[in-house]
Amino acid sequence: MEKSKSRDRSHARIAGLLSIIPGVGQLYNKQIIKGIAFLVVALLYITGFWNLFNMGFWGLFTLGTEVPRDNSIFLLAEGLIAFLILCIGLLFYGLNLRDAFKNGEKIDMGQHPENFINSVKSLFDTSYPYLLISPGLLLLIFTVIFPILFSFALAFTNYDLYHTAPAHLANWVGLETFKQIFTVDIWRSTFFDVLGWTVIWTLVASTLSVAIGIFMAIVVHQKDLKFKRLWRTILVLPWAVPGFVTILIFAGMFNDSFGAVNTVILHALGLHAVSWMTTASWTKIALLFIQSWLGFPYIFVVTTGVLQSIPEDLYEAAIMDGATAWEKFRKITLPFILNQMAPIIITQYTFNFNNFNIIYLFNNGGPAVPNSTAGGTDILVSWIYKLTMSSNQYALAAALTILLSIFVIAIALWQFKRTNSFKEG
Amino acid sequence: MKKGWVKMFAASTVALLALTGCGPTSSGTSSSSKSNKSRGSLLVWEDKDKSSGIKDAVSKFEKENNVKIKVVEKTYADQLKQLRLDGPAGTGPDVITIPGDQIGTAVTEGLLKELKVSKKTQSIYTDSAMESQIVDGKVYGLPKAVESTVLFYNKKLVSEKDLPQTTEEWYKFSKEERTRGKYGLLALWDQIYYAQGVFSGYGGYIFGKKSSGAYNPKDIGLNNSGAIEAANYVSKFYKDGLFPKGILGDKGINVLDSLFTEGKAAAVISGPWNFDVYKKAGIDYGVVKLPKLANGKPMSSFIGVKSYNVSTYSKNVALAEKFVKFVSNANNSKKRYEVTNEVPAIKSLVNSAAVKSDVNAEAVAKQSQNAELTPNITEMDQVWTPINNALQVVDTGKATAKNALNSAVSQINSAIKANGKK
Amino acid sequence: MHSIKRNKNIRLFGTYLLLAIVSITIFYPLAWTIGASFNKGNSLVSTTLIPKNPTFDHYIALTKTSGTFYYFQWFLNSLKISVVTMVLSVILVSITAYAFSRFRFRGRKNGLIMFLLLQMIPQFSALIALFVMAQMLHLVNSHFLLILIYVGGQIPMNTYLMKGYIDSIPISLDESARLDGASRTRIFLQILAPLAKPMISVVAMNGFTGPLGDFALSSVILRDPKSYTLPIGLYNLINDKMGASYTTFAAGAILISLPVAIVFILLQKNFVSGLTEGGTKG
Repeated sequence: MEKSKSRDRSHARIAGLLSIIPGVGQLYNKQIIKGIAFLVVALLYITGFWNLFNMGFWGLFTLGTEVPRDNSIFLLAEGLIAFLILCIGLLFYGLNLRDAFKNGEKIDMGQHPENFINSVKSLFDTSYPYLLISPGLLLLIFTVIFPILFSFALAFTNYDLYHTAPAHLANWVGLETFKQIFTVDIWRSTFFDVLGWTVIWTLVASTLSVAIGIFMAIVVHQKDLKFKRLWRTILVLPWAVPGFVTILIFAGMFNDSFGAVNTVILHALGLHAVSWMTTASWTKIALLFIQSWLGFPYIFVVTTGVLQSIPEDLYEAAIMDGATAWEKFRKITLPFILNQMAPIIITQYTFNFNNFNIIYLFNNGGPAVPNSTAGGTDILVSWIYKLTMSSNQYALAAALTILLSIFVIAIALWQFKRTNSFKEG
Repeated sequence: MKKGWVKMFAASTVALLALTGCGPTSSGTSSSSKSNKSRGSLLVWEDKDKSSGIKDAVSKFEKENNVKIKVVEKTYADQLKQLRLDGPAGTGPDVITIPGDQIGTAVTEGLLKELKVSKKTQSIYTDSAMESQIVDGKVYGLPKAVESTVLFYNKKLVSEKDLPQTTEEWYKFSKEERTRGKYGLLALWDQIYYAQGVFSGYGGYIFGKKSSGAYNPKDIGLNNSGAIEAANYVSKFYKDGLFPKGILGDKGINVLDSLFTEGKAAAVISGPWNFDVYKKAGIDYGVVKLPKLANGKPMSSFIGVKSYNVSTYSKNVALAEKFVKFVSNANNSKKRYEVTNEVPAIKSLVNSAAVKSDVNAEAVAKQSQNAELTPNITEMDQVWTPINNALQVVDTGKATAKNALNSAVSQINSAIKANGKK
Repeated sequence: MHSIKRNKNIRLFGTYLLLAIVSITIFYPLAWTIGASFNKGNSLVSTTLIPKNPTFDHYIALTKTSGTFYYFQWFLNSLKISVVTMVLSVILVSITAYAFSRFRFRGRKNGLIMFLLLQMIPQFSALIALFVMAQMLHLVNSHFLLILIYVGGQIPMNTYLMKGYIDSIPISLDESARLDGASRTRIFLQILAPLAKPMISVVAMNGFTGPLGDFALSSVILRDPKSYTLPIGLYNLINDKMGASYTTFAAGAILISLPVAIVFILLQKNFVSGLTEGGTKG
């Protein structure tokens, strides 16, 4: 049975082979309009992008050969764009082959391939989800994936102040930059310091926001509390004011000598002034406080919504069993909230891992600490930003981006495997 | 079933890739950066709030050469940073205004066009100002103004005749002021730009010089015994509460300015950029050269040179060069001085009555005699951050001067070495 | 009986006390900002909560444009960018999430994993790439490009949230509509979209506030002072080495925060009740 089938797949094979030039296979299958359309598109694609491919791939390999004509960075970017467009092209090229092959198969089995209108219809039918995701995906490819690829590529070059246009070209140097990070003492120790603080920062700042948010929601949710709407409005305020504004305001308020925190609040409480901006550990505490202030309202709002949706009968049963308030909370409320809000809570952690604004705006990653090339409160992203924007250590910054990504992706995948979303997908 | 077309796909993909692979050998020739002949307009980046000073010169140049010039104001210290971004985009300027210590870096990167300036033209500028524009014997710009930090004092809080003359006297004076809740002298000595004045007096230096007079990046004197002594001396002002901690760090400069303009500090060490600012704030201030150090040596300072330079990205290099020479000539420099009060770098002007009678300019000129150029070699770029961090750490008492400076110098050395490999 | 009542009173008293403390913590910095904006001078040094000599100078200063200062232009720029980003994000995120939630297609699982990973890598770790891209497309200073970049950055995380939300809407609703002959596009527009309103408002909020909080990306793309957004402009206002003005910043900050906060609080009712509605469905 199987063997006889493979013997009369001649049409399929020939059609597939012919469509190495897109469209010809379709013509062979007597799908004239489709075939011509494929041919035209293919021709347009090749003529339209030929130059890009030509320059792009040449540039990608050499990163330029002559100054000041060539700019390595532009060549690299062009090369990557060429690569992406080629990938998209190959995808459709593959689909073209498949189409010819499949339709050839139909002929082999004695059916007629669909006419043009019908095939458009069935195309719309089968690829409806692709149609839906393609605008978003396309945007994603060029505004997110391309920049990330570019950054990754940069890590394997020696692009820095001394290898920059117009006077110099950058070159591929392989793993040289990574080697530097791990072999030069000061870089290695700085990297691990920064990574350590990034992890602590992410865990503590996010957990605090989440805990305070849930706690306040439960407090306001008490049945006999008056002015609920007023309290809720007040508690949302920190979220409603643009974050960068608040951070800069706090930066002023925490000034060591003249900030209101020291001169007014601590003074009124009879406490000594604290060096918020010049001692790293105090800056860290200030940062955690500010991030909790900024971050809890979001969790508060969502939790409030969730609380209102907990079915009463769950509690009724518990009251019958004589459960205390604490037991009700621990056995019913909390699991319900955590279950419902898991994705939102997780986004808090990813958000803080990359929370560049607060670190950079509050104290520019400072204060300075001995024996480190980063500031005392720099997290990975702010350090990368500073390396890029103020010290022009582009390759180094890119290499750190890769390390950061590996770290994040490892955690994400681990986390992903544990939750159900994987199986469900 | 499926495998048939997949195999075919793979095979033809390889074939296609092979085709594209052999294309790009002849490429590149079509793209060229030489699109000359777009004669007729220049984009000039002037320092912030200073474009009024070249207004006349610009319109004159426009008329004489039948061109259009657009002047855009940008903080001069940031212009090079922006040129890096805007230059390749084609939106960059033809002429920029940058600090002299950035010239070395800019030349290394190839951002600046060499100018052909005759010895005679060079000779009209003060020597040190001109020197800052020269890298390896080639001229890359013409000086526009020189600046140096000086001492500003509030006449209401300290009279000219009571003015302390040495840092030791200032130390005592500040102590007294503190008892009244005010500040005496304030300075941003957590930054090498300001602290260098003290360092230099005690024998510290950034780069030593070779016998040829060129800077020697292998000889860093920021952790020698003099430097350590200087750092300790400086940190005393912080530790004894004479300088508030609030003026440390990035935003310190704003706090320092405010303390002075609100009459809470009797004196500050700052630069000519504040002549106008302080006046507008309604402070009746005087300006003198920096005080003597405790060891009797004069306090040094960095001479900052502002210059006009031509970007290599300029599409109209010849015209841009012409404009730079025109706007920096003696006549236009004088005009500019009259409008902006920035101390000019022209010899004849420095000695002219106009400048001599201007107390502000006079103080800058006097201080300049004790001052030294900010090194303009590329390696200077690696110095700022580590040494400023070290100073801050010492001033906040987080590390001893010796440890912090040693660590800073080893950081600088390794950064220079890492970058100098190729 | 008495002790229960007393316990209740203690609990309520504690609650009100706690809420009062939290409210003060929330109000203090905000009130302080308002105070600062009316204070004389430029810095925070002598700023007090209640200004000694209140002045409108800083608000007036905002109206004065100069070669590098265009407050109201920035204001409009920011508003425009935020609104467009919000609208585009909502559209793209909803349709993408709809596809991922309701259809089984090849590449779906990998697509989801990709989205999950992409949301973790910050977009601005690739600043140079974005700038190079802007240059190659000749779109430096272009708000349009910036908006596309923002929308692109919004997609992964929000799609993920939205997909999860649509998943919780029973598929039986779709099926019965389909039996009635509704097309897939119609099912989405008329059945799922209204039900997903709470999550749509979350996505909208993210899209709106995202650009308002960013200055890293925007300051790389927008090079001309006139095309700046408020975050860049205000940041420069206090970070300028010379002539920084903390108090003018405070005035500018209040002018932008007020409308945003008011809109936010007005919308918040829908937000909370919407979330509730959605929650019970789940």
